[in-house]
Order: sequence, then C-alpha cells, then structure tokens
Amino acid sequence: MTPSDDRGDLDDRADHRLHPLSILFEFAAKVRSFALPSVAFLVTAGFAGFAWQLLLLPMTLPYLVAAIARYISFRYRYEPGELVIRTGTLFRNERHIPYSRIQNIDGVQNVAHRLLKVMEVRVETGGGQEAEATMNVLPIADFEEMRRRVFERRQEAPAADGVAEAHPEAPKGRGPLHLLHLPTRELMRLGLIQNRGFVVIAAAVGLLWEMGPMNSFLGSIFDSSGGRGFGVGPPKHAAREAWRSLVSPILDGNWLPAVQGFTMTVAAVLLFLVVVRLVSMVWTVVRLHEFRLTRTGEDLRTEYGLLTRVNATIPLRRIQTLTILEGPLHRLTGRVSVKADTAGGHQEAGQDNDEKPAQREPLAPILRRAELPALLSEVLPGLDLDAVEWQPAPARAFRREIKGWVLAALGSAIPLAVVLRGWVFAALPLLLLWAWMGARGTLAHQAWATTGDAVLYRDGWIWRHLSIAPFEKIQAVTVRESPRDRHAAMARLKVDTAGAGDLSERVEIPYLLKETARELQAMLALQANRNELRW
Amino acid sequence: METTLEDSTAPEAPAVSQPIAQPTPAALVADGVERQLDPRSVALDRKVGWIVAASISFPIFVTVFLLLLLAPILGWVKALMALAWLVITGVLATVAHRYPQVAHRHTFYKVDAQGLQIRRGVFWRIVINVPRSRVQHTDVAQGPLERTHGLGTLVVYTAGTDHAKVSLHGLDHGTALLIRDHLLPGDARDAV
Repeated sequence: MTPSDDRGDLDDRADHRLHPLSILFEFAAKVRSFALPSVAFLVTAGFAGFAWQLLLLPMTLPYLVAAIARYISFRYRYEPGELVIRTGTLFRNERHIPYSRIQNIDGVQNVAHRLLKVMEVRVETGGGQEAEATMNVLPIADFEEMRRRVFERRQEAPAADGVAEAHPEAPKGRGPLHLLHLPTRELMRLGLIQNRGFVVIAAAVGLLWEMGPMNSFLGSIFDSSGGRGFGVGPPKHAAREAWRSLVSPILDGNWLPAVQGFTMTVAAVLLFLVVVRLVSMVWTVVRLHEFRLTRTGEDLRTEYGLLTRVNATIPLRRIQTLTILEGPLHRLTGRVSVKADTAGGHQEAGQDNDEKPAQREPLAPILRRAELPALLSEVLPGLDLDAVEWQPAPARAFRREIKGWVLAALGSAIPLAVVLRGWVFAALPLLLLWAWMGARGTLAHQAWATTGDAVLYRDGWIWRHLSIAPFEKIQAVTVRESPRDRHAAMARLKVDTAGAGDLSERVEIPYLLKETARELQAMLALQANRNELRW
Repeated sequence: METTLEDSTAPEAPAVSQPIAQPTPAALVADGVERQLDPRSVALDRKVGWIVAASISFPIFVTVFLLLLLAPILGWVKALMALAWLVITGVLATVAHRYPQVAHRHTFYKVDAQGLQIRRGVFWRIVINVPRSRVQHTDVAQGPLERTHGLGTLVVYTAGTDHAKVSLHGLDHGTALLIRDHLLPGDARDAV
C-alpha cells in the first residue's frame, strides 16, 4: 500500500455495485423462504407427482424481477466521511452511514458463495436490531477494500482530533497479530464443553419435519391411535405409564425387574447424552473450523467455518463489556471462554447460526487459562486480573443468599414428593445441603472491583462469569433498594452499557452496603463523564 | 451522603462545564441541589389516578348492577357483591388520592455539571445516575393534562440497554426545558 494509493482512494467517489451473481443469490433466498412452506403444504395436502413444481415456477417470477431490479438499483460509494448506499427503483432510499459509527463489518460465505468466490457483507452500527446494510453479494476483493477503507478512515479521524489512542503498545504496523488459533482438537474439546448437541438435534428434527420426509414416518406413529407402537394415548399419559411401570415395582417391593428396567433406562439416557455430546463436537468443529482471532491495527478479526466461512471485524474500542465464562468442564480442562459485547445489532441467543450469521461468536470460544492475560492485555490494555483487589460481599449477605437457595430446594422438593412420596423426606437433607453449599459457593466467588479504568464483577458458583465494563462504556449507573435491601441496609448497583447481552453477563452487584453503593455510584458516574464515550 | 457526593464532584466541575461557563439560565438549574418535583404534579397525578380508578371501578359497577338486576342470585350474595364493589372502589380512590403525595415525598432530582440524578420509589427505591456526556438526545413532552397544569415530562435517552430511556415527569415545563438545554451535548469533544 503506497501513500499515493491512499490518496487515490480519497478522491475516488465512483459508484460501486454488487456482484452480478447477486441476482442469483437474492432470487434463491427469496424462493427458498417462499418455497419451503408451500412444498410442505403441497405434500401434506396430498399432491402427487411433479406437476406442482411446474405450477410453482411462474409464481417465482416476481422474485426474479425484484432480484434483478435490486441488483440494478443497488449502488454504494465511499464519501470522505461516510458510506453511502442507494437502493430502490420506485421508492428510492439513500442511506448515509458515517464511518465513525460503523461497529462491525462481517463477511459471510456459505458453500455456494465460496465456490463462486463472493461474499455476503453486513455493515452494523450501534442502532437497531439488525444490520444497517446487507450486501448480498460482493466479490471478496471488495469486502477487503471496504474493511480497509472504512476502518482506516475511522482511525484517521480521531487522530486528527488529537484524541490519542489509549493503547501505547499497540502495533501500528499493518501486519496482523495472531492472538488465537483453535486447532481441531481444541474445537472438539469446546464442543464437549459447550454441549450444543440438543440445539443441533432439535434443529435437524425441525428441518426434517418441514421438508416432508418425516411426515410419512411420523404419520405412521401418530395415526396409529388404535393402540399400536408409540401411539398409546397422549404422550403425557404414556410418560406416566412408563414411569409407573418403572417405579411402582420398587415401591411394591418387587426389585429385580425394576433394577433391570432401571439399568436399561440409565444406559439409554447415558447413550443419548454421549451421542448428544458427539453431535455437539462435530457441529462445533464444522462451525468453527480453523477459528482464528487476529488483531489488525485497532481491529479484532475473527475468521471461522468449514462450510460457511464467517469473517467478522470488531473494532477494539467498540467492545462495551468483556465477559469471561467458566463452567465446571472449563475448570476441569483449565480453559475459559471470553465474550465481547459490542453495540452492534443483537440477535436473540440460540438462533441457528447458519441462518443468522450476525450472531457473534465469542472472542475466544475456548482459551487456555494461562493465555488469558495475554489476550486481555491486547483487548483491554492496562488490565491485570491478578493485581485486581476484589471486594467480597459482606458476611451478612449469606443470610439473604441462603433464603433464595432454600426456597429453590423446597420448591424442587414438591415435584419430587409426587414421585417419591414419603421418600422425599430422605431427599430433603440432601437438598438443604445443596442449598447451603450453593449459597456459600456463590458468595465465596462473588466480588466486585474497580481498576484505574474499569469496573469488574464476578459471580456464579458452578458456572462462573466475570464481567468487565470499561468506564468509558458506562451509560448509566443505578442503585436499587428493595424492601429487603432496606431492611439489611444494602443496595444493588447496576452498570448499564450499550448492547448489553445476557442478563447473567452484566455488571450488576448485589449486597453492597448502602454507603458503599452510593459512593461507588458517584465514582462511576464521575469516571464515565471523565472518560468520553468513543463509539 | 449528598455532601460527600458534592465534594467528590466539585473539583471536576470546571473541566466539564467549561463550554457553558457563562451563567446561562440552563446553568442556573444545574446547581447540584437535590430538588423535589413541582407540587402541582401531585394534583395532576391525583387526576390521573382518579381516571384510572374510575376506569376500573365503572365496568365492575356495570357488571354488578346488571347481575343484581337480571341474575337469580340469593339476597346475601347480592349484598356481598355490592359490598365488594364498594370496597374495591374505596381502596382505589384512597390509593389514587394518597399515593401521589407519598410518591412526591420520595422523588428527587439533581442536575449538576456531571449530569442528571433521579431518586425515586416508595417501596422499591432506585437512584439513576446519567452522566451528562452519555446523553444521546432529550425530549420534553407535554400531554393535555400536563398542559393544563403547566407541567412537562423530561425524557433522556442514552445508548444503554436497560436505561436507554430515562423519564422524569412532574417537572415545571420551563424547568424541564432548562434541564434539557443543560444536558444537550453542546460540547464538541464528545462527538461520538
């Protein structure tokens, strides 16, 4: 990249267009969303043969026209300070997106995209639930160019304002800095830990259901209401029957068949769980194949996927909160998972990744504990987790914490009582012990801290998380006192940031002494004001 | 508590308030004194409360009345139904009349160079602190009832998630405008 090239970019305000293949992809996407339900409808309606397929063809023509019109009308150009996108033939729309507001630029390639060497590009700003601009599809070179132009120019702007970047040790060179690479072995471990197998299996069943092949199979199950196969009445009834046949011999004192049945059931359940874990592992390996996290200048880039290749860019200073998650299997294998929340469009959790690539993968889905400090120093310079002085919850918080656990224990005893009858009194001490351990474990790990430029909070007993909110990302600070809080002279402090994700991953500190809470609130608000928000 | 808060903010004040250093009316409202809402808001909230109470009580009254007239019910059940309506209406009316005053006693706001702080809640108390540099934009809204009382509602928007919108109703309309002027980002540095 020579300087003259850069200058050439600045003068170039020519219109850019989508790749001609856009017509194909746009058309295919529309037809797919329209065809799947109608296929299902026609199949279930009992249509035979292929005639209906021909019938559908003329119905797709409007989509083809729309796709062509979109390709012809879609233009974008790089103005000095903003990206301008024009769309529409009848209803024209011109969207101006200032470079300084762009949160992420993601490129997604599914198998077809990769074969044809094109890419779907999404541009996200802070507002709204979805991407501000989706360009389906661009040549790969154009994606690279957009990334370069948008993020380079955004970097020029603050420098001109004299706002020094807070990362003195940041490599200013263009060379990408490799932060994390996940080989297949590590991905399998991640699949084992994450256990998303249930999601995959549920999605597969749902898809099969929609596609039709399941219909005949399921039909044979559900139509046989005469009493064959699984069709013994409604499922609830069947479940109760199965349970009774399993449990009543035990209660009646007839042990042997019961033990046999029990072993079989346990074996089946175990087998199922193993299969689910295996599916999860395969799914993770396919989805995150060759996961790479690199730092290029002030941007973090992630790249992953075997079939659908995703290429996401997160500017470092767009990270609103950072969360470190740790489950029991994480601890067993000495791993953690690091998530970064940005203010970009937020997808509901648990959506299918192939359909909604905007759902962002964690920054580091799995990471050796020993490598955590190195990553943190790249993402949040100046933060040393080992040097943080944690403030634990006050000792009298235990009395309040355990009440919730005991209530949960007693609550779970009620359904158990239905099943175990009198035996529930044997289970009760165990439940109460669990409550006691839970309350103790939670409070032992729960703590908050402030450093020179961030507020930290950690929580959780078995599944732990640690959230970090830099002062400059704090939007509002609230202190709440419930009647119980007031009784105990305590308060709950919450830090609000943009694009906060899961409830469990926010900085929300309970059981603060009232005075501490008020002082912390004043301090955080002051710090937030002092550290200007830089989007 | 409030004094220590003042102490901690005082040295910071000049740096942030520089762009509005001249004593504009907007700066006068930002004196860091914790204030109560306009007393007229109690009267307004009572009216709103009565409207709500009436809109709950009236349908019940109609139902009970029709049942008494048309349905073949025992006499003492009828009496009980009428009594129930009376009790519900009485409770609603009392709450509608009393609660605004109690809520008013528990609502405070404070504007200073740092931003806006709202303290409210009778049973569940909350203190919301919005730093001035985080204000994205502000609204001053006035409904028809508020207009007759000369009151207004200040709505402050941030880029946050749970408190993306913080509203304070029951302010004098003029005061709401002054606070808005103060909170407006007139500062070139925090261009986001």
